[in-house]
Amino acid sequence: MQMINSNPQSINWKVAGRAGEGIDVTGIMFGKLCMRHGMNVFAYREYPSLIRGGHNTHQVHASFDPKTSQQKHIDLLIALNEEGISLHKNELNEHSVVFCEAKQDGYDIAKYQDTGATFYDIPMTNMSREETGHFLAQNVVSLGASAWLMGLDIEILKAVIHDAFHDKGETIIEANHRAMQRGYDYAKEHCKPIKETFAKKENNQILLTGNHAVAMGAISAGVQYFSAYPMTPTSEILSSLAAQQVNYNLVVKHAEDEISAINQAIGASYAGARAMTASATGGYALMVEATSLAGVMETPLVICVGQRPGPATGLPTWTCQSDLQFIINAGHGEVPRVVLTPGSVQEHFELTRLAFYLAEKYQLVVFVLSDKYGLESYETMPRPADEYHNQRYGLIEEALPSDDSYRRFVVTEEGYSPRSIPGQAHGLSVTNSYEHDEFGYATEDAQMTKTMNEKRHRKIKGVATEVPQPILIGPAEADITLVGWGSTRLVLEEVVRQASTVGKSVNCIHIPCAWPFPVESFTKLARTAKKLIMVEGNLNGQMESVIKQETDMKFADHIRRYDGRPFYAEEILETL
Amino acid sequence: MTDNQHNYISKASLASPYFPTWCPGCGNFGVWTAFKNALSELQIPEEQVVIVYGVGCSGNMADFNRVYGFHALHGRAIPNAVAIKLANHRLKVVVVAGDGDTYGEGLNHFISAMRGNHDITLLVHDNQVYGLTTGQTAPTTEKGTKTKSTPFGAPEIQINPIGLALTCDATYIARGFAGDIRHLTSLIKQAILHEGFSLVDMFQPCFTFNKHNTYHYFKERVYNLQEQGFTADNKVAAWEKTYEHDKLPIGLFYQDPHSVAFHKTLSQLDEKMLIEHSIETIAMEKAVSAFR
Repeated sequence: MQMINSNPQSINWKVAGRAGEGIDVTGIMFGKLCMRHGMNVFAYREYPSLIRGGHNTHQVHASFDPKTSQQKHIDLLIALNEEGISLHKNELNEHSVVFCEAKQDGYDIAKYQDTGATFYDIPMTNMSREETGHFLAQNVVSLGASAWLMGLDIEILKAVIHDAFHDKGETIIEANHRAMQRGYDYAKEHCKPIKETFAKKENNQILLTGNHAVAMGAISAGVQYFSAYPMTPTSEILSSLAAQQVNYNLVVKHAEDEISAINQAIGASYAGARAMTASATGGYALMVEATSLAGVMETPLVICVGQRPGPATGLPTWTCQSDLQFIINAGHGEVPRVVLTPGSVQEHFELTRLAFYLAEKYQLVVFVLSDKYGLESYETMPRPADEYHNQRYGLIEEALPSDDSYRRFVVTEEGYSPRSIPGQAHGLSVTNSYEHDEFGYATEDAQMTKTMNEKRHRKIKGVATEVPQPILIGPAEADITLVGWGSTRLVLEEVVRQASTVGKSVNCIHIPCAWPFPVESFTKLARTAKKLIMVEGNLNGQMESVIKQETDMKFADHIRRYDGRPFYAEEILETL
Repeated sequence: MTDNQHNYISKASLASPYFPTWCPGCGNFGVWTAFKNALSELQIPEEQVVIVYGVGCSGNMADFNRVYGFHALHGRAIPNAVAIKLANHRLKVVVVAGDGDTYGEGLNHFISAMRGNHDITLLVHDNQVYGLTTGQTAPTTEKGTKTKSTPFGAPEIQINPIGLALTCDATYIARGFAGDIRHLTSLIKQAILHEGFSLVDMFQPCFTFNKHNTYHYFKERVYNLQEQGFTADNKVAAWEKTYEHDKLPIGLFYQDPHSVAFHKTLSQLDEKMLIEHSIETIAMEKAVSAFR
């Protein structure tokens, strides 16, 4: 495979080693080091489904230009064990540098010389022991060395390390600063820098995962109740929000199972709180019945679902987009819903925020459908506003008629009805899992059944005017138009950027809302395309089927991946 | 004409336009009467009660009470109720469910709600059979009983609801009988007033599908624990009572006088109910500062 050579304007850095060695912490610190220089950062993480001993990686791609996905070729690889090299041989070339501890780990670097990379056998563990009394700061040693090699400012790194160990006390911070300095000094003495000194530019970005962004989006929208059961790749939403209970008027409940999690969220929402749940698709599978409940009860509900390869337990820590059809159709009976499909971290923030608005206004279920790649990768985004303002929808401010004539499910043209909440005088009603009349009492009447089904489905007409529309990325006209949804956006943007540098004419359409499918705006963008290629992370072409069903448009070709791995821009570019 | 005056719950205020569809003589009638008595006697504003119903003959009560009602999915009423209470802890939240709902389909929720000491009242219609699905075995059916789904006899030992509640540290545990409405009324009242999780398991004869556990069967066997001088402050003594089968004790088995309800442990609910907090302006600094 053709590799993009080391680009002086960008950084491709990877740390690889055993789980439990602080791979992620190291990666996050390096990512922040780049961000605080003013760069855009994207970081991709791989790890197996276990806690210690498995192979973990954290790969940072940073540049002053936009960067939205990982790249195969690595400038600098920190290999904390031999597997750190052997599993990543084909990501190295003559421009790559590897930091390793071959002597201490008992292997011979010579066998990896055919990669063409430059190897430095650095006693990181010993330096860590000498500076901190513990081997664990080997990663901080590697960060110091990385800063020298990559032309990054050691003072910024010092501040990043300070902030990372902030709550551990001055002694720990100082020890880590010594380890960092030792690595930096060693590299300065023994290694040749591979980048010019990077400039520093002002920026006001933050570095976070899709999960973090979903949690922040929820907070900005005033989430009050979040209940979930941990499952990769959405566990981080639960932990992020749980930690924020001290800062916000928010109750977070780790429920006994997913069924309880969604039923709690529905209960809280019924009582007037802004509520949300989240799970992987496997955990969401247990929530399907209650999705239908929220639908018939017309209770606002936001559900974040993270796809990972199935069937069943599948590949717990890897990625895919194989549950689109499942989510579009989940729930027995005909349940109106919205399915938002964010790509970038910023979109995860914005669409989660939007989800709360749509759910409350239209009194329906709104999914934020993402995947392991989108939820667990780090990306920079502009710092959100200092304050967000939220209106409430559908709640009744004025006193209700004392003759108790209020009807919770009064049939309306827009499909949703003013909602009383418990505690509100004269708002008594039954909120019913059974089909019901306007007061909420159960009914089996044929006409009422028909009327209520139609009432609920009229919401779709309104909500369709407020969902995000497909966007065209890249030149207005191109020989090839790639179409993607969800996290595939990240890679397609990179493909479009790289295409222009190799003289190929490519643009892409990103679909941020899968349901209701934006027929008109998609058709408008796609009908003039010279060659439409669908790119998605599943075997059966699930979005392609939706598009065919909804627009009758045909694709010239498709690129599909369903091996748990994300797309790589270079690989897509090669096939075009 | 509008006003915000409270109407207190009364038997008249509870009347919905619908009359029960239960079989004549069903134990649900006795439970329903006791429940309405309890709510009326407690003098609660009608909008301050939420009743969450399971699915079954008992859950069909949803249409017969004029209250803030939430007719849940089969087995899932407890998680709905737990969150309703946390969202607005001024409400009295009562779950009306069946033995299939609670001890079968929703057993995990039952156990978790007790462990958390969530301040909800759980009224379980224990008729030892599945009524609405026309007569299959329930988790409370005596081992060996022939039912539609177990024509050769129920193969499992029946669940011990009171014993299970004791094991899970429930803080109010009682058993009533649909045939003793005055006693059941008092148990339900105490349960609703209890701060923390309260269980009232209720013997409730199913005329149509359970020919064994009849009114006559219970009338011959039940006795009132408190009339026998039993004090409900000792879990071990209560535990022994759950193994009496020749005579069936009803009344209060155990109450923890030091019960601290789940919502009382959440500092974010100290000042106000969750839903009273405005979401109009949300400052982001505290949430985003770690990502810089």
